[in-house]
Amino acid sequence: MSIDCEDQELLEGFLAETTELLEKLDDDLISLEKNPEDADLMNRIFRSIHTVKGASSFLGFDSLVKVTHKTEDVLNRLRKGELILNSEIMDVVLEAVDLVKTLVGDIKAGEIVERELDDTIAKLIPFLSENATEATVLAPVFASMEASAPAEGDAPSAGQGAEADRAADAGETADAGEIAGAEESPAAQPAPAAPPKPEPATSLPQRTAAAPRAGGASPPVKEPQKAAARGEDLADNSTVRVDVKRLDDLMNQVGELVLERNRMIQLHSDYQSGLDPNGFGDDFGKLSKRLNFVTSELQMQVLKMRMLPVEKVFKKFPRIVRNLARDLGKEVDLQIIGEETELDRSVVDEIGDPLIHLIRNALDHGLETPDERLGAGKSRTGTVVLSAAHEGNQIVISIKDDGRGIDPERVSRKAIEKGLITEEQLTNMGAGEILDLLFLPGFSTKDQATDLSGRGVGMDVVRTNIRKLNGIIEIKNDLGRGSEFILRLPLTLAIIQSLLVEVEREVYSIPLSSVIETMRVSKREFHMVGGQEVLKLRDSVLPLLRLQRTFGCAERSADRDTYYVVIVGVGEKRIGLVVTRLLGQQEVAIKSLGKFLANLPGIGGSTIMGDGRVALIVDPMGLVS
Amino acid sequence: MQNALTKVKSEEYGGELIQLVSFNLENEEYGINVLMVREIIRMLNITRVPNTPHYVEGVINLRGKVIPIISLRRKFDLMEAEYDKRTRIMVMEVVGELMGFIVDEVSEVIRISGKEIQPPPPVVSSGIEQECMAGVINQADRLLVLLDLERMFTADERRIFSSVG
Repeated sequence: MSIDCEDQELLEGFLAETTELLEKLDDDLISLEKNPEDADLMNRIFRSIHTVKGASSFLGFDSLVKVTHKTEDVLNRLRKGELILNSEIMDVVLEAVDLVKTLVGDIKAGEIVERELDDTIAKLIPFLSENATEATVLAPVFASMEASAPAEGDAPSAGQGAEADRAADAGETADAGEIAGAEESPAAQPAPAAPPKPEPATSLPQRTAAAPRAGGASPPVKEPQKAAARGEDLADNSTVRVDVKRLDDLMNQVGELVLERNRMIQLHSDYQSGLDPNGFGDDFGKLSKRLNFVTSELQMQVLKMRMLPVEKVFKKFPRIVRNLARDLGKEVDLQIIGEETELDRSVVDEIGDPLIHLIRNALDHGLETPDERLGAGKSRTGTVVLSAAHEGNQIVISIKDDGRGIDPERVSRKAIEKGLITEEQLTNMGAGEILDLLFLPGFSTKDQATDLSGRGVGMDVVRTNIRKLNGIIEIKNDLGRGSEFILRLPLTLAIIQSLLVEVEREVYSIPLSSVIETMRVSKREFHMVGGQEVLKLRDSVLPLLRLQRTFGCAERSADRDTYYVVIVGVGEKRIGLVVTRLLGQQEVAIKSLGKFLANLPGIGGSTIMGDGRVALIVDPMGLVS
Repeated sequence: MQNALTKVKSEEYGGELIQLVSFNLENEEYGINVLMVREIIRMLNITRVPNTPHYVEGVINLRGKVIPIISLRRKFDLMEAEYDKRTRIMVMEVVGELMGFIVDEVSEVIRISGKEIQPPPPVVSSGIEQECMAGVINQADRLLVLLDLERMFTADERRIFSSVG
């Protein structure tokens, strides 16, 4: 069924607003779980759902109204204090929000698909005030749960509640799916009752509750996952909100650009009509200086408008961490620092997946279970710190956990077992290189692959993605005390500072961020060590790479005495690129080579030079590895 | 693009008029559906790209967009020739990407009836890969080979294209 809406503008407005509200909602709900007493937060959540409900009923999206209405009712009861928030209610509410996201996604895609609403709604129903039977049965159950804090007292009463529930539900609806849905929620109740008082028992019932769910009622479990994936799609970045002030600034800059253009036209016509030919050079010089100034200002402005706070990515994580922690039976405190740090939208769009992966790893491999933590003399709740900050021309994002850290012994053993390296290679490796093994394709230290991570396809993909963004990833490791993954990314992908070099009359551009130094070297200083050309540089030996060979350039002047060497560094690795000539430093705009030439080794893209020719941009990381 | 192609195919049987851009390669005439061709430009500076298949001549700057250039002579294993003032780059959109193809000369746009397109002969002696040939057009005094460049970039080849070297 396609969407039939008379006013397209209205629909777009609805979608934009709803998407924004829903994005915020996830975050708010998670914070609410931490601070159930926060009335402001509660009200805000209630208002968001209410707004979505109102707008969708106005536009006639009935299924959306149905779900939001029930959700609103549950929230209303929470707000009035008739229900006490526990993680069971939160799960159901989150599931409902996911469903809402899926529905909105459908509307956005222009196709309304028949979706299974009843499962989710059935889960909401037990918490509803409307439904008198459940409410009266459930209210005492919740009351008794609250009263009898010790975990032992909970199970029987909750069980009774479940029984009563089931009976009531079965009487009401003959639908088998709904019964399954209703069965499921009460079954999981004993566990969530405890979270206010974290005790060793919590993780156990939680897991036992999770197990039958995964086994028995598979459709309701899988559905929310799909919904979550859909929800992420929803938050695409096809429209931008720009601060009016920034827009005004931009307009000013453009005004100046127009002035400069007029001056240029004037200058040209003066020149053509032979007016003051002597002054032309001077005037033109001044003009190009001003133009240079205006365009760089303009460039900065536009760049700023493309900047987004990294919060856009980070706000997904509390939810992910919450779910993961529960699935893994771990207690995790996620701290987010510096979410207001801005970076280019092209980067924001790309870092989501690698970050999710790293966070999963931190939770799955890094953090220990509460018991293990207590055994190791740590607090039972593990901490994961996700932080972002600007550092010079880069943005640094770090994911730090206080878990068990990475055991180099285990890493190297695994790598040998999997045949990724030989014993011999291992003996030559330093600590840093051993950790680098994690990034090899096919590597996994987890003895048993879990659903979350450990399939061995992860870290190499993470690194590839980060490299695509011209970034690097580093590992800091403190065995027994935790590990930290640090991503260093350029602020923008659109424009970079680069060093232009000539290789046998072909011009290449090397990103300045990876250039460490350049030097002029006499041919005599090149040495051969084990078939590898090297240069003795101060105390170290630098491997050399002749770009004309790597890139297969026709050698035009075979014999020359001096060469230029550009030393590039990626992480700890250094390599010297031998070039014919250095041409200078220039800011270049990166152009993609298109999908056919996307994966060329050693070539990261292209740029257009002042004379209109295309110059290729060297990808130093591709050359180093 | 897909529409344009399927249209040609349906017209093959319908017998409606279709328009072809005809061009020369080593004194042979080829035709390409006019809807495939974005523009035809003169030779300009081509930047060589290392570690690509031999028929990728390099990339050019097409008004601010960088697009790959393919030499059809090399692709079809014909003799290399010097570029002269008649050499042209035909810019086409192939599988969603702009690409330029170097040909010896672009002659004209011709109209043919779909009925005139005959299936390609079973044995092709020249280096032209059979799968690029969509058909042969036999008019009174000329023989045109109708090319389908999308087929040239079969899924397989596209993969190799991007990972060569």
